[in-house]
Amino acid sequence: MSDKIQNDHLESISRRLFAQRASLMTGLVALGGGSYLLQPQGASAANPIKVGVATDLTGPISWGGIPNANVAKMVIEEINKSGGLLGRPLQMILEDTATNEQLAVTKVRKLVTQDKVDVVLGGITSSMRNAIKDTIVNRGKTLYIYPQLYEGKECTSNLFCTGPTPAQQCDTFIPWLIKNGGKKFYLPSADYVWPHTLNEYAKKVIKANGGEVIGEEYFPVDHTEYSASVNKIMTSGVNVVFNTTIPPGVGALFKQLHEAGFSKKGGRLACVYYDENALGITPANEIEGLATCLDYFAAIGDPMGTKIFNNYKAQFGDKSRFCAGGAATGMWRGLTLWAEAVKEAKSVKRDAVAAALDHAKLKDGPGGGCEMVPGTRHLKMNMYIAVSKAGQYKVVETSKMVAPGECA
Amino acid sequence: MSSILPFLFDILAFTSVFVIIVLGLGVIASMMGIFNFAHGEFILLGAYSVFFLDRAGVPPWLGMIYAPIFVGIVGLVLERFAVRRFYTTPVAAMLGTYAIGLVIREAVRTALGGQFYNVVAPLDGPIMLGDLSISKWRTVVIVITLLMLLSCWLLFKKTDFGLRVRAALENPMLARASGIAVSRVYSATFAFGAAMAGLAGALMVPLYPLNADMGVTFLIKAFLAVMLGGVGGLQGSVAGSALVGSTSAAFPWIIKPVVADVMVFVLAIVVVKFRPDGLLSKLRS
Repeated sequence: MSDKIQNDHLESISRRLFAQRASLMTGLVALGGGSYLLQPQGASAANPIKVGVATDLTGPISWGGIPNANVAKMVIEEINKSGGLLGRPLQMILEDTATNEQLAVTKVRKLVTQDKVDVVLGGITSSMRNAIKDTIVNRGKTLYIYPQLYEGKECTSNLFCTGPTPAQQCDTFIPWLIKNGGKKFYLPSADYVWPHTLNEYAKKVIKANGGEVIGEEYFPVDHTEYSASVNKIMTSGVNVVFNTTIPPGVGALFKQLHEAGFSKKGGRLACVYYDENALGITPANEIEGLATCLDYFAAIGDPMGTKIFNNYKAQFGDKSRFCAGGAATGMWRGLTLWAEAVKEAKSVKRDAVAAALDHAKLKDGPGGGCEMVPGTRHLKMNMYIAVSKAGQYKVVETSKMVAPGECA
Repeated sequence: MSSILPFLFDILAFTSVFVIIVLGLGVIASMMGIFNFAHGEFILLGAYSVFFLDRAGVPPWLGMIYAPIFVGIVGLVLERFAVRRFYTTPVAAMLGTYAIGLVIREAVRTALGGQFYNVVAPLDGPIMLGDLSISKWRTVVIVITLLMLLSCWLLFKKTDFGLRVRAALENPMLARASGIAVSRVYSATFAFGAAMAGLAGALMVPLYPLNADMGVTFLIKAFLAVMLGGVGGLQGSVAGSALVGSTSAAFPWIIKPVVADVMVFVLAIVVVKFRPDGLLSKLRS
């Protein structure tokens, strides 16, 4: 009798063990090894050109990383459809850097040493770029393209930046803000490298244009209670809030400013990374009149931009769109410029491609064409100032081929 | 002078949400002696359910009522299947609840596609009193918190269930011997704590953007408040959360926000040095 009970017991344990192992296995299969391959098809698939994409598919920055990976996939598939490069297809090797710099270093090391990729694109935050660039460029001797708008001062050789710089986001935007807002600026910011460095530049431009900085404050990135700053803003006659706080904190700041009646009393809200995706997740009435300056908006309606926007939407849906604030446009430009450079160099060797990239040009792209400023590894591109009206951006000013002003 | 009133109001509003969070965490810590590391994710679940229903076209008021019930049920199920196995091993309980929290957080992150979302409050915008603008929703939050505190007090002090809970809290062995189904009381308490987190998340989501990491922000400060208040009673949790909540809202008015965050912890360490058993230790003994 007791044997039977014991047997039943054992059986139930082993059944439970089986269930546990089975669920663990399915979990592992679903997660995979953490990397993803876009395999080329066809006869020449044996010797593909390898493109490494390292971006944050999970973790707090995944809002930007997922569209980045999508754009890369889209561009690479298109290149493959039109016959690849140098008669060879492209193979995309995607690594999830998980918004974790330590992990990312391991992932890019795998890309450059094990997969031996011919180029690495990716990284969204500056801390990510700083963490992985040495592994890619110096130790890995591989070309690196960084796609996000950022604080500038990245002058490492063989590292090309394809997003807007502070000069591109401030030089035309701040005079516009002074004209369409006022002279008194307040700079609420997140406490990390991008806001600190961008603010240094912005303050110079504000002063040069006769403006005045009333206050500059740094918050932890997940700060949620801004009542003290909102009060200072409301009582000191600030005209323009030039914001560099980021999600998740930024939503709370905008809401509290709205509730204090900042915009209603004539104040102008400005935020240079706020794209259509960010607009879509903020209640429209809270950011009515918010102004931004980016390299692409769907509202521009340029044929090339619209084509890319719609292609993206058809493939990846409407959940997060093709926008400028999260490096998606920079990723498109980076990959397309690199492909042009490979064609010109007739090689994927780093030095030859870098030499061709140094003067690479695109006639057209999202928001128009762009060209490398030789010797600086930064792009000249069109910049647009847009204002949010009832949850949609309206482009109010266009500046053609703005210089990046970096590494000169 | 004109800045004093909004100052006090904002501090009160922030502290209110915080009190509800800490109450849920404190009741579980006091009762079962475990720190629930999934508490932040219960807040997240509450916020997410309001968002989910909002997008499905359900009026936000209903979402606010639904959220604590839903999270309470999730808490109940988790307690039944996982958490109760950890009561005797507090360290394993921390890791276990942390794992549960991680699963919830990453699941919500996937559901949200890593994006940040806002939900418009059922009562949006400010009330203007002359030059003073007071947020309607924050007023609602303060009122609901006061009502919650009152009903908790009534529940624990005036009802039969409250008596059983306090008995089980005081001496579980004796309570069991007196015929109280302690394990059932534990389940109910855990579900209650989870429901409180759900409510806090629901009230919070119109104020702070919904994202997978929103719970984490509040969790550490909530632990601090429980520690300050002292494990063992609800009044302690309320006192601790009032202190931590008001100081973390008030400090940024005087000093740099980045420094303010650290100062809250420094203050807590000082308090714990002089009152190692919590703010209300004298009152209890």
